Amino acid sequence: MSPGRGATAGDLAGAATDLEVRGLRKAYGAVEVLDGIDLSVAAGEVAAVLGPSGCGKSTLLRLLAGLEEPDDGTITLGGQPLRGPSATHPMVAQGATLFPWLSLRENLAWGPRAARRPDADAVADELLVATGLTGFADALPRQLSGGMRQRAAIAQVLANRPPVLLLDEPFGALDAQTRLRMHEWLRGLLAQRPTTVVLVTHDVEEALLLGDRLALLGRRPSRVLEYSRVSFGPERGRATLRDPRFVDLKVQVLERVLAS
Amino acid sequence: MSPTSGTGTVAEDTAPGPDASVGLDEPEPVITPTGRPRRRRRRLLGLVVPALLVTVWALASAAGWVSPRLLPSPGTVVEAAWAFVAGGGGSTLPGVTPFDGAAGRHVGASVGRWLVAFALAVAVGIPLGAAIGLSRRTAELLDPLVQALRSIPITAWLPIALVWFGLGEGAARYLVFVGAFFPIVIATADGASRVPGALVDTALMLGTHRWDLGRKVYLPAALPAIVTGLRLGLTLGWMSVIVGELTGTTSGVGAMMFAAREVGRLDHIIVGMATFAVVGLAGDVLLRAAARPFVAWSDR
Ligand SMILES: Nc1ncnc2c1ncn2[C@@H]1O[C@H](COP(=O)(O)OP(=O)(O)OP(=O)(O)O)[C@@H](O)[C@H]1O
Ligand SMILES: [Mg+2]
Repeated sequence: MSPGRGATAGDLAGAATDLEVRGLRKAYGAVEVLDGIDLSVAAGEVAAVLGPSGCGKSTLLRLLAGLEEPDDGTITLGGQPLRGPSATHPMVAQGATLFPWLSLRENLAWGPRAARRPDADAVADELLVATGLTGFADALPRQLSGGMRQRAAIAQVLANRPPVLLLDEPFGALDAQTRLRMHEWLRGLLAQRPTTVVLVTHDVEEALLLGDRLALLGRRPSRVLEYSRVSFGPERGRATLRDPRFVDLKVQVLERVLAS
Repeated sequence: MSPTSGTGTVAEDTAPGPDASVGLDEPEPVITPTGRPRRRRRRLLGLVVPALLVTVWALASAAGWVSPRLLPSPGTVVEAAWAFVAGGGGSTLPGVTPFDGAAGRHVGASVGRWLVAFALAVAVGIPLGAAIGLSRRTAELLDPLVQALRSIPITAWLPIALVWFGLGEGAARYLVFVGAFFPIVIATADGASRVPGALVDTALMLGTHRWDLGRKVYLPAALPAIVTGLRLGLTLGWMSVIVGELTGTTSGVGAMMFAAREVGRLDHIIVGMATFAVVGLAGDVLLRAAARPFVAWSDR
């Protein structure tokens, strides 16, 4: 808390960094889950990860978040090997986890406070606006709807302006129209804060709307079967859904998912 | 919400505005308006049966159905209660245990034992419970012992307490400690072991230091369970006070009651019982009120 350091909003903040994953393996006892995952995500890219249920998508994210140790393989962020969970590569887990005893504002201020940033309250207020939840600043998480909680949980980790963001089926539990709104919201948010994102999803449409890259995982023990670039202009939004080329692409990908 | 200019937030035009979801997402308005009157009515309802019993008691005494030696009339008890609090009336119990005007002294002595021993039980019980709840090793090491010891009735601790601490204050405090200790340990261990790992993970991924986790995550998350343990411990501690006052002391509500028994003053005994009820209830209400701001989030 010295006045010289930590005073700037950009302390932890930084530009997005690239993420390199090489030969990642993980087993739980006799259950082999990941069998040599390779993935490289350039700085500021969104990599969407698709794969059958139980293939190890959440496991992969927990490894990337540093919450678990791989049995083998390496993960580097901006060239640095990953060491444990930290504010530079946070994960938003399936089923948003906000601190249930704190108001929404306090939840959003948690990260900046932990980083001893003097502007924690200002950051929280800014995020309240960014999530469209200004009216709920003093509400407890249980008083929010699922969609609101999910937005809040993403905003909570973005408060520290992490170079890498890991999202585990962030919108999986939401209804179709809320999910669509959330996609647009997230795209907008990421446009303002360049962040390298790994987005796990079971929704092909979501993967294609949000991803710059598409990683297709196979059944357990899983590997990356395909890693392709989603070349579908940067202007993806509600209108994109009606674009015949998009519909075509969706069907193609869906078929490959089913075939895997 | 305020129209923001310049910052160009995405939320403003693309996210579902909060206003759009207020009406659907907020369950509160449905519950609040009907909540209070109903609660008051329920409270009044709780007085009906006691009032009825007192009426029957008064009638039975007036009609002479019960001997005053077995059950004094409500009027006699009220008079005794008044004498206990305000003095006068001239009835002093044998030995050195006063009654008239001695409410302050006896309640003070009992409450003093209670709170000192309870504080000690909290100071030892919460850290021990946390250790058991958070570390599998510690749990394996200590849980069987805790489970065995807590099965020993408070009264069964009395003889050994007398040997260890002698007659009087020490033994009384020890018994209250034992009564309060186990519920606190067990509830704290349970609460600590149920803190969702996802919350701890989230705290770490928000940059929280490991050594801050206890204060910032485990304690608040386990607090509702801990408070339940504290309430149980406080009540059980209060119930143990009288065991400690069975022998070797002339002060305390329990001491007064046993002195009253020796001279057959049933009215004094009933006043003592009522005092236990009122003070115990007051303690619980105060603890609940003090804890409320910290645990209200977990209310259903
Ligand atoms: N902590 C654990 N201990 C033992 N096995 C585990 C553990 N975590 C995950 N697994 C196993 O690893 C496999 C992959 O689980 P994971 O949650 O990563 O899958 P997923 O792809 O995220 O599935 P879903 O799409 O249903 O979320 C499953 O078979 C699961 O049973
Ligand atoms: Mg999963």
